[in-house]
Parts: sequence; C-alpha cells; structure tokens
Amino acid sequence: MGFFNRVAWRPTVDREVEDELAFHLDMRTREYIERGMDPAAARREAELRFGDARRMRAALEHLGQGRNRHMQRTEYFSELRQDIGFAWRQLARNPGFTAVAVLTLALGIGGTTAIFSAVYAVVLQPLPIADPARLMVVAEIFEGAPSQVSAGNYTDAAAGVTAFDGMSALRFSSFNLSEGTTPERIIGGHTTANYFEVMGVKPLLGRTYTPLEDQPGSERVAVLSHRLWTRRFGASPSIVGSAIRLGGVSYTVLGVMPQSFDLTTESEELWAPIAFTPAQKVLHDEHYLTVYGRLKPGATRAQAEQQLEAVAVRLRRDFSHDASQLRYTLTPFVQEFVGDYDTRLFVLLAAVGVVLLIACGNVANLLLARGAARAREIAVRSALGAGQWRIVRQLLTESAVLALAAAGAGLLLAHWFIVAVVAWSPQGVPRLEQARIDPLALGVAVLLAAFSSVVCGLAPALRLARTDIHPGLRDGGRGATGGSFRDRLRGSLIAAEVALSLLLLFGAGLLIRSAIALQRVNPGFDPHGVISARVALPQAAYGDPSRIVDTFERMAADTAAIPGVSHAALSSFAAMAPGGNTNGLLPDDGRPFDMKNLVPSRLRIITPDFFQTMRIPILRGRGFDANDRRDGQRVMIVSEALAAHIFPGQDPIGKRIGCCEQTADQKPVWKIVVGIAGDVRSSGPATAPRPEFYLPIAQAPDEAWNWLQRVMYVVARTDGDTAALVSPLRAMVARVDPALPLYDVRPMDQRLAGTLETARFNTLLLSLLGGVGLLLAASGIYGVIAYFVSQRTQEIGVRIALGASTASVVRLILVQAMRPVALGAAIGVAAALAASRVLASQLFNVSRTDPVTIGAVVAALVGVALAASAVPARRAAAVDPTRALQSE
Amino acid sequence: MTNPSPELLHGTLDTLVLKTLAGGRLHGYGIARAIEDGTDRVVDVEEGSLYPALYRMEKKGWIEAEWGVSELGRRAKFYRLTSRGRRQLAAQTAEWARFAGAVSRILLAT
Repeated sequence: MGFFNRVAWRPTVDREVEDELAFHLDMRTREYIERGMDPAAARREAELRFGDARRMRAALEHLGQGRNRHMQRTEYFSELRQDIGFAWRQLARNPGFTAVAVLTLALGIGGTTAIFSAVYAVVLQPLPIADPARLMVVAEIFEGAPSQVSAGNYTDAAAGVTAFDGMSALRFSSFNLSEGTTPERIIGGHTTANYFEVMGVKPLLGRTYTPLEDQPGSERVAVLSHRLWTRRFGASPSIVGSAIRLGGVSYTVLGVMPQSFDLTTESEELWAPIAFTPAQKVLHDEHYLTVYGRLKPGATRAQAEQQLEAVAVRLRRDFSHDASQLRYTLTPFVQEFVGDYDTRLFVLLAAVGVVLLIACGNVANLLLARGAARAREIAVRSALGAGQWRIVRQLLTESAVLALAAAGAGLLLAHWFIVAVVAWSPQGVPRLEQARIDPLALGVAVLLAAFSSVVCGLAPALRLARTDIHPGLRDGGRGATGGSFRDRLRGSLIAAEVALSLLLLFGAGLLIRSAIALQRVNPGFDPHGVISARVALPQAAYGDPSRIVDTFERMAADTAAIPGVSHAALSSFAAMAPGGNTNGLLPDDGRPFDMKNLVPSRLRIITPDFFQTMRIPILRGRGFDANDRRDGQRVMIVSEALAAHIFPGQDPIGKRIGCCEQTADQKPVWKIVVGIAGDVRSSGPATAPRPEFYLPIAQAPDEAWNWLQRVMYVVARTDGDTAALVSPLRAMVARVDPALPLYDVRPMDQRLAGTLETARFNTLLLSLLGGVGLLLAASGIYGVIAYFVSQRTQEIGVRIALGASTASVVRLILVQAMRPVALGAAIGVAAALAASRVLASQLFNVSRTDPVTIGAVVAALVGVALAASAVPARRAAAVDPTRALQSE
Repeated sequence: MTNPSPELLHGTLDTLVLKTLAGGRLHGYGIARAIEDGTDRVVDVEEGSLYPALYRMEKKGWIEAEWGVSELGRRAKFYRLTSRGRRQLAAQTAEWARFAGAVSRILLAT
C-alpha cells in the first residue's frame, strides 16, 4: 500500500492531539468522580494535573508532525529499497537480457559523455584569460578574407580607437635557442609591451616588459612560457634576471607566464618586445601583425568597428599607394581561437546523441518484449491490490537500475573513448588534450541515465500498468498485452531507429564520398619519397644577403650530394606548410604602379632543382638554371593559374612583370617570364590552386630575407626510405653551421595527409557511429520480428495446415517487418536531407543532397533490415503445424 | 493528588510504557493508570511526560498507534508494541536489571 492510503485514514495531527488529550481528560475526570469528588471539582483537578494544556498541545503537534514526516520518509525509502531489490533480482534472473540492455545503453551513454567532454574542453570551457568576451582580434580585409595588419595600420588604429582599453600587436617569430648543447627552434612572438595586459594575463614570476623596453636598442629582454620554462630550464625560479642566448644574441629573462597561458600545445613559448622603429610605424604595406584589442567596459564591438572605419577612411586617403583598399574587421577572440571545431564537434555530439536514442529504442523494445512475458506477474500483483502508480513505479525503478548500471559501464567506456579520441584526433584541435571526464560530464552521464530510464521505461511501464487483470489471469498471460496498439508502439520504435540510423549513415556516407573525392585530387606535385625540413639563419650572424644566398646554395648542393638523394632543393615555401610570403605583381601593360593594379601572388624563392625534386611539371618555357645569376637578366616562372589570371589568352613567355623590389627612383624592377609551372594545391587538396610565382635564389630581393625571416625549406627526393635521410640532413646543416637547428622535419606525404587529418578523423568517427547505429537498429528489428513470429506461431501453424506455402509465410513476415522500415526510411531521408546542412562546409565535390549517397544508404539499411528479419521469417516457415496447434 | 512521586530515572518511563504495552494495546490514559496501579501509585505518570514520550516512541518505530473504540464505547487512540519495540523492551529491561543490581549491592550492603 502506498503512503497515500495510510495518510488517508490518519486524522490531521492537530485533530489527533486534540482528540487524544480530550479523551484523557475525560477519563481522568471520570476516575476522580468514581473516587467520590463532585463532577466540577473532578474536572478542575484533572485539568490542574494536566498543567499548561495549550503548551502541551503545541509540543505534541510539533512532535506529531515530525513523526509523520519521518514515517513517510521511512516508508518511501523502504518501498524504494524493496523496488530496487526486486528490480535487481529481476535483472539478475535474466542475465542475457540485462547484459544486452546495459551494454547497449552504456555504449550510448559512454559515447555521448566522451564527445561531450571533448566539446567541453574545446568549446565550452572558459578561456584562462580575463573577461574573454571583451577580447577582439583586429584584422585587415585582403582579397575578401581577414589577413594580418601592417605596422603603420596598427599604429594609427591604436591611436585612433578609444573603444579599446588597449590594442596590442604580435608578430609570430621563431627563435634559435642555443642554451645548452642542442640548438632548438622555438615558436614565439615579438609583441608590444601591452600585449599581456590586453590578453588579461599576469606573469607567474617576475614581470613583463615595459614600454621603455619596447624600444629599438633596449629590446633584448624576454618572457618565457610556463612550458618552455619547465621544459628547458627545469622550472627554476632563478632564471628570472639571468641571460639566455637567442639567435646568437643575449636576452635577459624578465619573467615567466602562468601555465594557464599555454593556451594550446602549439602556442608561443617565448615573447620579446617588437620594438617598432619610427620607420616601421609609418610603413603601411607589409602585413605581418596579429592585433588584439580589449573593449573598454561599456564599449561595444560596433563602436570599435566604427572608430576603426574612421581610421581606415583617413588612411585610404593619406596613403593611397599602400592603403587604398584598407578595411579593418573585428572578430571575437574566442571565435577565432575555437575556429570551426565547434560545428564539427557539435555535429559529432548530435551524431552520438542519435546513437544513444537508437540504443534507448532498442532497450525500450527489449523491455516491451519482456513485459509481455511478465504480464501474468503484473496481473497477479494488481489483483493483490497493488495500485497502478505502484506498479509503474516498480517498472520505472527497474529501468532506472538498468540505466544506472549502464551509466557506470558507460563512464568506463567514456574514459577509454576520450583516451582514443585524444590519441587519434588531428593535430591542432585547441585544448582537446585537456578533455577528461569532469564532474560536469559525470552529471551529464547521470542525467542521460535518468533520461534513458524514462524514455526506455515509461512507455512499457504505462502499457503494463494498464493491463486488464482478468484476461491476464485467465489465460496465463499470453495475449493479455497483445493488440494493435502494442504492435504500433513496436512498429514506431523500429521506424524511429531506422530513421535515426539513416540520418547517421547519410552523414557518414557524404563524408566518405568527400574523402574519396579528395584522395583523387592531384596536388600538382609528387609528395611520395620527398622529405622536407626548415632551417633558419639568425640575423646576427647572417645580416648580409649574399652570405645568406651562399649558405643556402651550399646547403642545396650538400643535400644533393647525400647518398640516396636523387634531387634536392631549397624553397622559401613548401606546400601544406606554414610560412611564405605573398607579393603584389604588376603586369607590364602600361598600368601605373599602384596598389589596386597589383595582382597578389604567392612567392617562392627556390634553388633551380626545385621543380625536379617536387616533380612539378614545367608546362612551357624553361626552369631555372645555374645561369640565372644575380648580375644576369632578372627572370621569373609563373604558375598556370597566375598566367591565366594576368595574361588571359596570351603567351606569357617573354612578358615582363614588376615585383618585389623597387629601383632607387621608386620604379618597379621588371622580371621576364621564362616558364610556366603546373599549378600546386599548396593549402591542401581541398582548396583550389592559388596564383604562385617563382624567383631563383640568386636573384632574390635583399628585402625578401627579412620578409621570410631567413627561413628556408630543404626538400630532398629519394627512391628509398625518407626516414633514412633525417640524420644525414642534420649532419649536413651542422657542417654548414653547428649553431643552426634543423626543425619541422617531415615527409611531404605526411604534410599532405596532415591537411586531410581533421576531415579523415571526422569521417572515421561518423562512420563508426553510423555503423554502431546500423548494428543497433538491425538487432532491434530482429528482436521485434522474432517476437512477432513467436506470438503468431499458432496462427502460422493454422495457415500452414490450411496449405499456405513456405514462400507465402516468409512474405507475410517480411511485409510485416518492412512496413515500419519503409516508413522509417522515408522519414529518415527527409530528416537527413534537412540535417545535412550542418555538414555542408565539410564536404568536397559532393552535394549535400547527393542522390547516390541517399540511394546507397537506403539500400544498405533495407538490406540489413531484410537480413535481420529473414532469420525469424525462416523460423516461421519451418513451424510444424501439428505441434503449433497442439500447444493451444 | 498531593502525594509526591519519586522522580523517574531518565528513560525509565519509556521502559515502563513498553512493558505495559507488552500486555496488549492500550490508550494513553490506560497506560498511565496501569503504571500507577501497578506501582501502587508510587510512580505517578505526568501527562506532560507521557504523551511526548509516546509520540517520540512512535516516531522511533517502537510502538504504533491506531484509532479504536474504548471499553466505554468512546473513540480513542490505542498504542501497540511493534517487534522493534519488543526488542527495545528486552534490551532496556536487561539494562535496568544490571543497573538496579549494581545500585542495590551498595545501598543494601550490610
């Protein structure tokens, strides 16, 4: 009996106390009368004995209320304990059912928890900087895309915008750290003094640099990241104030930033003042700065944008040569930092949530099937007086126990999933490595368990509780819960599972088709058998351009001489790699030398063997050779895309193009096009080839070594194993200059694969989820059809006895099975076509409504559904009519 | 009623009530009378102690209450010993015997 009933026969506490005390008083009075007192005196005596009746009544009411609360609680918990014990015994009695249900749910809960942890680490987790919402990234718009800012444009914007508390500039740089025995290349930044303040981070040790130190001549100071401090300096606090050698020059360490400022595993490890010279501050056409602005409290992004536009208007007018196209743009730092990983991760989260739903559908089906077998037990219990609510509660408790067990197993799975996701994920997903099952994810898992228990348990529980007792008792439970509604419920569960699986498989199919299309793209060069690495010459020892060229040419020759190397070259830019420079080209067709007439194109300064090494075809004209010297005719090779852009329909060979340097009287230096090279997809197969041009290293403009920070890529081709070239390459560099580090050593095909890593990872995960969904849906279909066959054994026996053929029995079962499958497929196709919008940005050469993918996915699902129902259908056809009829 | 009764030792009232209810269900007045009569009125049960003790013991689950009809045909609240109350009574009785024996050994020593 529920406590509702008990409470019903209990009077309210104040009535109870009142009545009880009144009775007592009357009885005492009566006692005194019997002893001979007159009634009035007896009553008085009894009341006197009682003392302060009102106080006592109040005390008793208080006690009574406490007692009632306590008893309700006790009763509730004792019933809960009973329910849980009963549920546990029920589950233990059917270990097969329990294992399947728990594992199915655990898969869904574990997957969802793991992906949620990843989403939390990358997207939701607050950034360890003060008030990140106010931090903005300021960029210039170039060719329609945000690009870096020139020092002049930064200086004027910083002076002209009052909506910011401060605007700081950062130039990504790398430093040759020659502390200890092995020189190392470190990624760092040259920044303005207010950089740390704008980012909103205080140093852990020491201090950051002051505006006075951010001046040419006094800029030999540095701030270390926590990572570099622990990795190279043993986390020793005494490093503050001591000197380290960077690029052969001594820098004083001023401070160490906190660990939280290591925002990603690839963020900068060291900072030094940028120390703009007065000349740099008025230079408007070299764009290399990443600019941050912190909005003042109360200032809005729109205000900052307006003020930036006002600065841009002035600059476009005053510097019509360099800044005629200038436009600023603002992006919140958080958005810039997270990039498009939020969409990708939320797609995965949605996908894994869909798997959880399919899992719930399966468990609901299992509970339904088992409920049918338990109809008799339920009927007995309700005949014995258990209320509907009590039975529903009992059944829900069973679901909850199931879901909690699944949550426990799911957490274990989630732990492994997270480890696997972090290990297999592509490089550069910010903060993914911080993903762990945190309390929040744990809470989500428990919530999911509760959600699953309700979703899985409620429908079957309500169905069972509504069971009519009498037929249940009469015919032993069989058929008691049958009927069309029940079949409809099962059918709609199947339809939902099919629709959800289709959604997943369609997404996975689109990504797989994209991956295949990407694989077929010709990158424009042959990455196989080529190793690439970077080498940087420090300014202190290599200030003279001719020394730089000599050094790099010697490296090219020495590399080509390494045994096993067939071709070797140096290039200022390698495909799928960072760095490089973009220049404006002026075709010699009479147009004035003005910013708006320049065609932006990516520069590669190369040694002559570069084309043979990379196997980039020379389509027309010639490649570079040893005759293209500094004092000879200035030459250039253009890519096919650049040729088509500048000289549409003409032969570019022999045409003149001005670029990259100016004569003393501000005239362009002209170069003759001597060849056309095949296009290279330098940013990866997914992006179209961009215009590119090549200059021979001997004719490199002096200024170019500053743009490139004297960094070149060494590329070498071998017929053997590229890994065997790593140590000979290092030895080669050490022979040239032992203080130079060789870094970023990677085979070219690995660089190419790296650009596809994210896509491949997403494809893999979504395919995996699609496969799991399909498997779950198949087992769900099998379960329902098998149940359907077992319920209809007699009917099938009759049909066979009346002469129905095997084929017609199989057809009967398959039609029954395929009806919800067809409905689910139809709903699934509609949902998939609508939902594929979220994948659009990840697709390559595949329409998001690709009919081939839809066809393949529907065919696969229907095939699997047919296979899953074929087994019970054949069992039905094999029914022995005599036995089936006897069992009636 | 002026005859002074010795102050009940702490917890003794509970034991007396439980012992009284061991004989069958009784209402509050009945319990008081049974104790008073059983001790030849040496122990005088005060209402101000009895009822709070009953409510507390009900909460603890030693006794349970139900409404019934008294011997004179009036509606009254009857108390009954539970199995937990029976165990409690045994424990408290043993404790009392131990205590009383110890005190007697000193007070009645010759």
